[in-house]
Amino acid sequence: MSFSEGHKFSEDSKQHLAQIIDNINAGIWEYNITTKNIKWSVGFYTVLGYEPDEIECSNHTFFEHLLYHQDKPAFLTALNSQPSNSTQPLQIRLLTKASGYHWFESTVKKYNDETGQIIYGSIININQYKQAQIQAAHNDLFYSEALKIAKLGSWELNALTMGLSLSKQFYDIYELQNQVRLSLDEVISFFEPPHRPVIKNAIDNAIEYCQPYDLELLFRSAKNNVIWVRAKGIPIINDFGKCITIRGIIQDIDNKKRKNLALESSLNLLTDQNRRLQNFAYIVSHNLRSHAGNLQFMVKLHDETELPDDKAEILSHIKSISDSLSATIEHLNEIVQIQTEITNERTVVDFETVFKNIISALKSNIDTLEATITYDFSRCPQIHYIPAYMESILQNLLTNALKYSSLERKPVIKCHTIKERNHIYLFFEDNGIGIDMERYGDKMFGMYKTFHQNPDAKGIGLFITRNQIEALGGTIKVDSTVNIGTKFTIRLV
Amino acid sequence: MGVCLIDDDQVYTFGFKKLINLRGLNSRVINFRDGSQAITWLTNPHNSHNLPDVIFLDINMPNMDGWDFIREFAEIKSQLGKKITIYMLSSSIDLNDIYRAKKITDVADYIFKPINEYQLNSIFANIQHGIDNRIFKNGTI
Repeated sequence: MSFSEGHKFSEDSKQHLAQIIDNINAGIWEYNITTKNIKWSVGFYTVLGYEPDEIECSNHTFFEHLLYHQDKPAFLTALNSQPSNSTQPLQIRLLTKASGYHWFESTVKKYNDETGQIIYGSIININQYKQAQIQAAHNDLFYSEALKIAKLGSWELNALTMGLSLSKQFYDIYELQNQVRLSLDEVISFFEPPHRPVIKNAIDNAIEYCQPYDLELLFRSAKNNVIWVRAKGIPIINDFGKCITIRGIIQDIDNKKRKNLALESSLNLLTDQNRRLQNFAYIVSHNLRSHAGNLQFMVKLHDETELPDDKAEILSHIKSISDSLSATIEHLNEIVQIQTEITNERTVVDFETVFKNIISALKSNIDTLEATITYDFSRCPQIHYIPAYMESILQNLLTNALKYSSLERKPVIKCHTIKERNHIYLFFEDNGIGIDMERYGDKMFGMYKTFHQNPDAKGIGLFITRNQIEALGGTIKVDSTVNIGTKFTIRLV
Repeated sequence: MGVCLIDDDQVYTFGFKKLINLRGLNSRVINFRDGSQAITWLTNPHNSHNLPDVIFLDINMPNMDGWDFIREFAEIKSQLGKKITIYMLSSSIDLNDIYRAKKITDVADYIFKPINEYQLNSIFANIQHGIDNRIFKNGTI
């Protein structure tokens, strides 16, 4: 029941009520639409910083001096609205005596009496509250903009209930439209499969052993974008040292991380290239030195020997040194050429055409060994590559497979290509004598490394093959078992 | 004196033998094309009376290279019943190779190819001196 209902006020109590109204810390105003009569309580003046009657109580004063001009339309709308509408309190700015415009809240009520339609309301100063609200909204905006720029979502996990609370930016990173409730397992399921156990372990460890974590992981958003994120979490403990909450962030670091990875891989490539160049220089020096040394040695012996037979033998050695020297220089030339040819234009190379040409070039060799060669390039028939490299790679692999075939069985050589994601792979397999991977695995692609007593072995083929493949950004791996065979797995691009 | 050369370089092997022959250095030279052939020969009991006094060992060889040979040799040397001095011999001027060789106790020295006459003479003189000492002390080799 309201204060006024069911009361019939005496003249005395009306007086008393007017006193109360004048003394509360709020202003009451009343406006008779019909008579244009306007009344303000003492509190109305007081909340504006005036003494009663210090300013003229009139419509003109109110609309032209007190009410902020931008709030006028809203106030007028409220005055003209239907009496039945219980309007929300209105927030308006009124000019105070000493401290400029303040925010006030005013109710707007209507009733009719014998003199006409009366509108009345109470105003209270809400300036402090309003200022704080504006400041808070500003802070919120500031904060959320900063998080948006940093692409940073935050979350909190209750370690007891395993309930999660997630920030708006968290959903932005997940690219989820609605802020649906997510369980921990669902949150983890957005990480790429190899990284799921990593984040799961980190959270488990944080709960159980209070260990914080800071990880960089691959993540797949709801819209299927795969990005790198930074996932960081810290445990919050209770008085007994038990983890009760984990607070964490997830940040989109894709740009930076990918740049880093690219940098890292080019650094590795450079380090590798540098090492190979160094190695190459030593090998060159070693080989040239050994031929030159031998030559010097033989010439000296030739001078000292009197016997014609000895002289003839020494001369034959000098000839063989001369042959070896030209061969070495030929090899050097081939290697240097890899680097010069890299600038050659890449064109579409048809695997089958190239491979068939090589098979026909090696036909006599293949026929002698009764080798069976099968190939299947149907899953990836072509590649954008330097044609000379592709010829050289396939030729070296085939020559190698034939050279190191087993005497106990007829050679079976298989070659096929596949395309997977953005990469093209070439597989080359034989049933030859194989190689002891534990002993020679790391040396197999080295220069002048030979592992069998094969007189044709020069130790240059696979060295060149690897250099050609790597020069175009690929990799070569080998797997081999002695007396079973060898399989090369080559990622061409 | 018994000399053993382990080197896959046929020209060098020929020259090495010829040089020793020309210098009239009184020695028997046996040679192998790689480390594993040498190990097989050294561990064969039939050869126990003909074991060499010195081995000249090349580094770069197919199949079993110089480093692998040293490893295998370290395992069999106690069974050989004779002290054999090893010199590493290479055209490699890679400092890593040189340091690596110097660290191995079984290797007496690292010699650049082609070996020069003075080095060869002094190595032979040293070894001969060692043999003489042993004969003097024990009355037998």
